[in-house]
Amino acid sequence: MDDALQQFITGLSIASILLLVALGLSIIYGAMGIINLAHGEFVMLGAYAAWALQTQLQIGLFASLIPIFLLVALFGWLIEHFVLRFLYARPLDTILATWGIGVMLQQAVRLLAGGELRYVQMPVDLSHSIDIAGVPVSVYRLFLFAAALALFALTWFLMNRTTFGVKLRAVIQDRSISSAFGINPGQVYGITFAYGAGLAGLAGALVSPLKSVSPEMGTGYVVDAFMVVVLGGVQSLVGTVASAFVLGELSGVIAFLQNDTIAKALVFLAIIVLIRFRPEGLFTARVRA
Amino acid sequence: MTAPLVLPAPAHRTRQAAGRTRTQVLLYAFVCLAVFVIPLLIDSDFLLNKIARYIVLGMLAMSLALSWGYAGILNLGQAMSFGLGSYAMAMALKLKTVPVHTGPEGLPDFMVWNNVPSLPWFWEPFHSLGFAIAAGIIVPVCAAAALGWFMFRGRVTGVYVAIITLAAMVVVNLVIIDQQRFTGGFNGITDLAQLKLFDITFDAYGRSTYYLVACCLTASLFLALAVTKTKAGLIIQAIRDHENRVRYFGYDVAAYKIFAFSLSAAIAGLAGMLYTVVMEFASPTFLGVPLSLSVVVWCAVGGRQSLVGAFLGAVLVAGMQGALSESKTFLETWTLVMGGLFVIVVLFLPKGLAGIAELLSVRIARLRQRRNATVAEPKPTEVGP
Repeated sequence: MDDALQQFITGLSIASILLLVALGLSIIYGAMGIINLAHGEFVMLGAYAAWALQTQLQIGLFASLIPIFLLVALFGWLIEHFVLRFLYARPLDTILATWGIGVMLQQAVRLLAGGELRYVQMPVDLSHSIDIAGVPVSVYRLFLFAAALALFALTWFLMNRTTFGVKLRAVIQDRSISSAFGINPGQVYGITFAYGAGLAGLAGALVSPLKSVSPEMGTGYVVDAFMVVVLGGVQSLVGTVASAFVLGELSGVIAFLQNDTIAKALVFLAIIVLIRFRPEGLFTARVRA
Repeated sequence: MTAPLVLPAPAHRTRQAAGRTRTQVLLYAFVCLAVFVIPLLIDSDFLLNKIARYIVLGMLAMSLALSWGYAGILNLGQAMSFGLGSYAMAMALKLKTVPVHTGPEGLPDFMVWNNVPSLPWFWEPFHSLGFAIAAGIIVPVCAAAALGWFMFRGRVTGVYVAIITLAAMVVVNLVIIDQQRFTGGFNGITDLAQLKLFDITFDAYGRSTYYLVACCLTASLFLALAVTKTKAGLIIQAIRDHENRVRYFGYDVAAYKIFAFSLSAAIAGLAGMLYTVVMEFASPTFLGVPLSLSVVVWCAVGGRQSLVGAFLGAVLVAGMQGALSESKTFLETWTLVMGGLFVIVVLFLPKGLAGIAELLSVRIARLRQRRNATVAEPKPTEVGP
């Protein structure tokens, strides 16, 4: 019984990290149709920003969250404004362009901060663990779980209950008609991309105390995050949460039964089969043509 | 089902197309000739080995151009076929190694370390080199055909093709790394014998290997070019431009796509085998995500819609990277510059360097036409008093 609970909590912890990283991608890919291969590098930038603020300026992780969000969002806005803006008619080319940007970001960080592993201190108040039904659970992992849910709630609110969300959904449905109604699609897309990038930066800062920070750390995340978004269904935020949960638990369980490598391989295989038979994702009810 | 109606093309159009084909064949022949001439100008075996390596990578990029540029299938997992071919060759060469690298009964050294009692069944046939060479092409082709059948029969297109091919490659890569007992895991298969074919020994640093690579390049380049000129090749390009329209004409779109996808895998498999001969080992990085994405970059830089363009793009970019890797700072800045260059190419030169060449040739042709016209017109006035 304890083993099962332990497994469940491990899975939940993987799921919350997946959700954190995938949330930004879900907006960028789901709403804008951009395959953002630089997403992992946004995560990496966030982690490095957390490290730099902590070691250079002695700012704690909590205090640095908002500046990190703004910084990475600014990066995202610049990239959208100077590169991606010209590629909306060629969605496959966004893969190539964002990959090039990712390579540049990775290399720039390697040159500036060095290629060695960096470590970010966990906030002291959260570095102990507590018992839940006899299983020790790290408080920081609980905090991550709560943060992932909070950011999801914020994003959902932004998309569904604000004027900006209405505008964004209008532009997604029909770009030219919405601009006839006085919406500036370029501006909406710019802000959306910046928001998605900012979320990725936050994710990087939040997971940095658990993992070592390196210039290559992003590549692993971007693939996993894509799988979450594809499984959850494009344009479905709730689907993203559900699929993060499913994938997290699934990799937790298979990793327990077999090993990490086989777990990953099986999850990928499942996703290949899924795309073939349900390209709209597991959790979308209807798809607009 | 009636055969689709084909109207004869206007005479001047066919003449133009024939002219274009002739220029293309001349260009391809020139590039291949240049590849054959290089060893006459180079004295260093080490450098020759390096160039052979870039040529093999160029073949890989060319194979991707066939599926991406001609059939519109963006295969982010092109390195999967490459890696499978490379492992097939490595397995055969491993079984021929000197006793130092093998255990009792010729068991490969890494299997001895991993306590494998006897040679697994799927290694057995690799005692035959002929089988290995056949497998190096047939295995990637079968894998691609199966994956293609799975995707294209279900009408999976665009981005999803890219994701599925990438995911499939990652799965194969993970399995190879995980099954260390049979595949050498992270280290790959090392300490190989030299390839011996028809009494010729192919030393990786010798001219024979270089010429082998050059011959394979020429053959596959012209094979791919020939295929694009056939009717099937034209239909494949039509599918790239407007899939549904071709489907309404009654063509079996999926079959043509599977054909293009598999042919591309065959060339990639051949390139993989050559890569093992040139590098003298096989490693899971040969079917890793970084290499696979690099292939896409080379293709895009050289020109995805030109076979020879993709080849030259790969040789150029990979060669430049290799030349600068002697110095660490150079390499680091180069990576930065390459990322930026790549973004610029994608933004402003969707057809890559081949696009520039095409633009120039069109300009020159137009200039010549205009000059001909101006020369031809004033004639009547010259006859005046």
